[in-house]
Amino acid sequence: MTVHLYHWEPNANSGKPMLALAEKGVEFESHYIDLLRFDQHQPDYLKINPDGTIPAMVHGDRVFTESTPMMEYVDDAFDGPPLKPTDPKERWRMRWWMRFFDAYFAPSLSMIGWSVFVGPAVRQRPKEELEAAIARIPLESRRIAWRKAMFNEFTEAELTESRRRVQYCTGILEGHLSRHEWIAGPRYSLGDANGFNLGYALPLSQPDHCNDAKTPHIMEWLRRIYERPATRQIWALGRTAMAQRVKFLERAPHA
Amino acid sequence: MLELYTSEPNTFFLKPLIALHEKGVDFTMRWMDTDQLEHFALDLSGEVEARLHLEREGPLLRHDGTLISGSFFMLEYIAEAFPGEPLLADAPYDQYRARACGQFLGAHLGSLVPLLGCVRYLAPRLAAMDRSLLDAALARVEPQERRASWLALVDGSYTPQILGTARERLKFPVSRVESLLAGGDWLAGPRYTIADIDAFAMLRVIPDLAPEVLNERDTPRTWDYLQRVTARPAVTKALATSRSGRPGQHFVPGVEPSRWG
Repeated sequence: MTVHLYHWEPNANSGKPMLALAEKGVEFESHYIDLLRFDQHQPDYLKINPDGTIPAMVHGDRVFTESTPMMEYVDDAFDGPPLKPTDPKERWRMRWWMRFFDAYFAPSLSMIGWSVFVGPAVRQRPKEELEAAIARIPLESRRIAWRKAMFNEFTEAELTESRRRVQYCTGILEGHLSRHEWIAGPRYSLGDANGFNLGYALPLSQPDHCNDAKTPHIMEWLRRIYERPATRQIWALGRTAMAQRVKFLERAPHA
Repeated sequence: MLELYTSEPNTFFLKPLIALHEKGVDFTMRWMDTDQLEHFALDLSGEVEARLHLEREGPLLRHDGTLISGSFFMLEYIAEAFPGEPLLADAPYDQYRARACGQFLGAHLGSLVPLLGCVRYLAPRLAAMDRSLLDAALARVEPQERRASWLALVDGSYTPQILGTARERLKFPVSRVESLLAGGDWLAGPRYTIADIDAFAMLRVIPDLAPEVLNERDTPRTWDYLQRVTARPAVTKALATSRSGRPGQHFVPGVEPSRWG
C-alpha cells in the first residue's frame, strides 16, 4: 500500500511525518500543498481532510490528520528502526516533550513566524481575495489565525508574551538537553524528530537566545540531528528559502 | 511503589483513578485538597515535567521514583506499564485514533470544561479565602500563566461574554464526539480504551455545566455513552474516592486556551 503524504515545507507540523517516514525508510508519494497559496483550503484537499489543515497522510483507506499521533502510527505500522523508547517511562517522557513542543513552545514561536513571514508573504494580495480565502477555511481557530496574519492584527502585547515564552522554553529545553543526550531514552526518537522540526531554525530566528555560547546543548543536538541521512533527505525536498535555513547547522570545517 | 497524588475525582484527576481500577493495580492515594491549594506545597524542584504541568493542574503518578504527569499520557503509561485489562486498541490505526482523540479533546474539552467548572464552583471558594494565602501559595508556581489562571478566578476576569463564548465553543468538541460515536460504541476502535476514559472524565460534567450542549435530546449517542461508561465498576470505584460526595463540583484550572484568540 502506497503512503501518500500531503505536506508543505519540511518545517513544523508538515516536517514531522516526513522525517518519521524517512527515518523508518518508508517510501511515500509526496503531494506538495502550498500553504501560502491556500492549497489546503481547496476542494480537492478538503476531500482528504475536511478540516483543511496540513499535513495529512493516506495509507490504504485510512486517513491521518494529526501530525504527532501520525508519527507514532508511522513507527507502529512499519518495519524499520524503532523510533520510540522501549521503557514505558521513557516513552511517557517522549510524549510529554512532544506535547511541550506542540502545545506550549510552538504556538508562541509560530505567532512570531506568522507575524514576520507568513503574513507579509500573503498580505500584498487584494483584500477581497484574502477575505475570500478566509471564508473558505473550515475551522474557526484557523480563520482567526489567518486573519491575524493577513491583516497584521497581532498586538504588541501578544508578540511580547510570545517572545518571553520562546526564551523561557529555550531555557527549559537547554536544561533538559544538558542532562540528556536525546529527548527521551538512550537513542534518537520521535521526540527528537518533533523537536527538530520546531527548533532547527531557532539559532537564526532567535540569535540572541539560541547560540553556541548560551545554549550549547541545543546547538549540538540540532547539529547531530541535521547530520542524519533522513534529515538531509527530507530537507532537500524544501522548495523555499525557509528550508534552506537548516544549512546554518553545517559544522564549520576544522581549521 | 505506586503512588497517585490526587484530589476530588473529577476531570483530570478522575482519569488515572479509573485506569488504575480497570487494571486492578494496587496503589497508594496521596490526597491533595486542591480547593485549599494543598497541591502547591509539593516539592517538585527536581522534576521539570511534573513542575511545568502542561495542563496547568492535574494528578501526578509516582512509580518507582519517576513522576508521571499529563493526564492523557498518564493513561497511556498505565495502559503500557501494567498487566490486566488491555486499555489500548490492538490495531495501529485504532491507537492513532485514540491519540488523535486525546489530543483534540485535550485541547478543547481540557480548556473549556475546567474554565466553566472553576468559575461556577472554585471561584466562590477562592473568594471566601484570605487573599494573602492564595498569593503565598502561588508565589513560587511556574510557569507564570499557571499562576495567572488562579488569579483570574478571583480578579473577575471571566466576563459573561467570555463564558458565553466558552459555552458556544464547547459545541464543537461535543459534536465531534457525537459523530465519532455514530461509528460504534467506543471512540477509538472496537473496544473501550484510554480514549474513552479520557473523554468521559471531561464529558460527564457538561450536562451540569452546559446542559444545552450535552443532553439526551440533542446528543443522544453521547448521552448513552456516558451511561455506558458510568456503569463500569472501575468508574464506580474511582468516583467513590470522593471525600465531598460531590466530585463533579470540584475543579482546577485546565489547559490554557489558544493564545491566538
